[in-house]
Amino acid sequence: MSNPQEINGGAAVAMVGKDCVAIACDLRMGSSALGVSNDFEKIFNYGNVYLGLTGLATDVLTLSDVFKFKTNLYKMREERAIEPQTFANLVSSTLYEKRFGPYFVGPIVAGINSVDNKPFICGFDLIGCIDFAKDFIVSGTASDQLYGMCESLWEPGLEADDLFETISQALLNGLDRDALSGWGAVVYIITKEKVVKRLLKTRQD
Amino acid sequence: MDIVLGITTKDAVIIATSKAAVRGISILKVTDDKTRQLSDNSLMAFTGEAGDTVQFAELIQANARLYSMRNGVDLSPTAISNFTRNELANALRSRKPFQVNVLIAGFDKKTNKSSLNWIDYLAANVSLPYAAHGYASYYTLSLLDRHHKKDMNLEEGLELLKACIAELQKRIPFDFKGVYVKIVDKDGVRDLDDIE
Amino acid sequence: MDTISSRFTSASAMALGNDNCNEFNPDGFLDAPSLSLPPISQPAAFLRAHTDDASNRDCTIKVNHGTTTLAFRFQGGIVVAVDSRATAGNWIASQTVKKVIEINPFLLGTMAGGAADCQYWETWLGTQCRLHELRSKERISVAAASKMLSNLVYSYKGMGLSMGTMVCGYTEREGPTIYYVDSDGTRLKGDMFCVGSGQTFAYGVLDASYKWDLSVDEALALGKRSILAATHRDAYSGGSINLYHVTQDGWVYHGNYDVGTTFWETKAKEESFNNVKVEL
Repeated sequence: MSNPQEINGGAAVAMVGKDCVAIACDLRMGSSALGVSNDFEKIFNYGNVYLGLTGLATDVLTLSDVFKFKTNLYKMREERAIEPQTFANLVSSTLYEKRFGPYFVGPIVAGINSVDNKPFICGFDLIGCIDFAKDFIVSGTASDQLYGMCESLWEPGLEADDLFETISQALLNGLDRDALSGWGAVVYIITKEKVVKRLLKTRQD
Repeated sequence: MDIVLGITTKDAVIIATSKAAVRGISILKVTDDKTRQLSDNSLMAFTGEAGDTVQFAELIQANARLYSMRNGVDLSPTAISNFTRNELANALRSRKPFQVNVLIAGFDKKTNKSSLNWIDYLAANVSLPYAAHGYASYYTLSLLDRHHKKDMNLEEGLELLKACIAELQKRIPFDFKGVYVKIVDKDGVRDLDDIE
Repeated sequence: MDTISSRFTSASAMALGNDNCNEFNPDGFLDAPSLSLPPISQPAAFLRAHTDDASNRDCTIKVNHGTTTLAFRFQGGIVVAVDSRATAGNWIASQTVKKVIEINPFLLGTMAGGAADCQYWETWLGTQCRLHELRSKERISVAAASKMLSNLVYSYKGMGLSMGTMVCGYTEREGPTIYYVDSDGTRLKGDMFCVGSGQTFAYGVLDASYKWDLSVDEALALGKRSILAATHRDAYSGGSINLYHVTQDGWVYHGNYDVGTTFWETKAKEESFNNVKVEL
């Protein structure tokens, strides 16, 4: 209960594949040991950008709304949807604005840049330091477990189908070793052509 | 320590709140109503820090009513839940946060659906088929997991509530002096006779 | 003479004797193994500061914790059901812990709290029960066995033992009997106990459907279902369910059920758990 980032629990992961990216999260929202909701998605969509938010549930909700507002304003001013790289900088500056009273979250971003069609993922600490990665990004109470899974399962150049299998196995097995994450999971596989969202059937304990 | 419980049925939400108002080692009142009606078809049940609870509930109640008067329509239960969440979230990072946990029961006349929102003092807001705050959740949620059915009718819902109250009376180590039961449906909010 | 005097010497007086490796041998427990104490002034306080999650969340050493266990008496004997998860903080250390300790063919002990404490002292209880049997040519009563455990943990009171256990068994004289014993020194005889972090969830389901006249199959199913309910809601319970039935012929093991599959089977059969999402 002492660490705000661990009160509600939850985990998310993003991965790069060949001309595709994937982002996934669990569905649990708890109050310490007590599970409260199994329908708490932590991935939010803004145009062709996907944002995963783990950490304190109230800040997950607040920030998802803040970014909805900011990306809508961006779209009106620029007359185009925001790109993943631009969005990453928006997340970073938004978080740093609260440097001395931070949002207790662990955001991750995934998307395909619509100009050069290159996959992009990155992660952040709670005050906005960007962690650019070419392979994968993990976040949440199961992050230690997810690092282990991703380090051993991920390989470069995965096709969309293989990427789905890889990210799903990484998440599922990561969640199974964390008491505060799990209770269902969703996976987004993002290619230039389409986005596929799938619900994973997980353990419910 | 207070008991706040909500169960959705096919076209209604049942809310039960304990009648005891406890301060320190004394029960000050045995007819304490821990709910406020927010609009024709929505009700807030609350628990938390003494003083904060009623102040907060009445703040939301006043704002919901003001909206209705200004615009000639009620806020939907979803809108009220989001408004409540925002008030709690803003208070959370203020000098003096509201330490209040609430359930918002509502019936949306536009979509003809009942809804139940669980919101804690940190302003985490989730929509649930059944919910409880405090110690009550530890005893009743497993029972509700087992016996709650989608599309239950009101009678079945009340039977389930009876089982929950019986369990609380058996296991909670103090007397909460029974519960007030309220029903929120298309006809509005009404009281039900006591469950002993 | 030395042996006699040492028997009646208090632990604190004994502790003074050794220079750097003190030992603790609880009063009156001649058969209890002596456990070494670190050579510092307040061993119990030191241990509590570093390992007790409840008094200090930021403690650096996390011992295995978290459990749901239950036992209840009914017309056909006793049902004992437990989960199998061990956690160290939020880390799931194991999903395959044996939380029922088979003390002898007629006695079962359940395990909640410190895993090592329960395992060690209930195994020790097994040896004591055997010795009693050899000495008196008669099986020990559940009352006596539970009292031995209770007295033992009481002698360690304040030193950080953490146990919540049920001693379940059958003897000719007592019939099917359950004793709840915990490390505070509480010892209660009763018909139904749930112990551990998920106890309330188990009570919720158990109380709602419990009757004395339950058939054996119904009782086993109810025990299993109550643990399942707790593994679902309590983050620190899970893994699999172990089921036991105690009768006049001793205990019978009724299998291990993985929560991963049991949950979905139960949900489909009962149309319960309808807060759980099955499709987008």
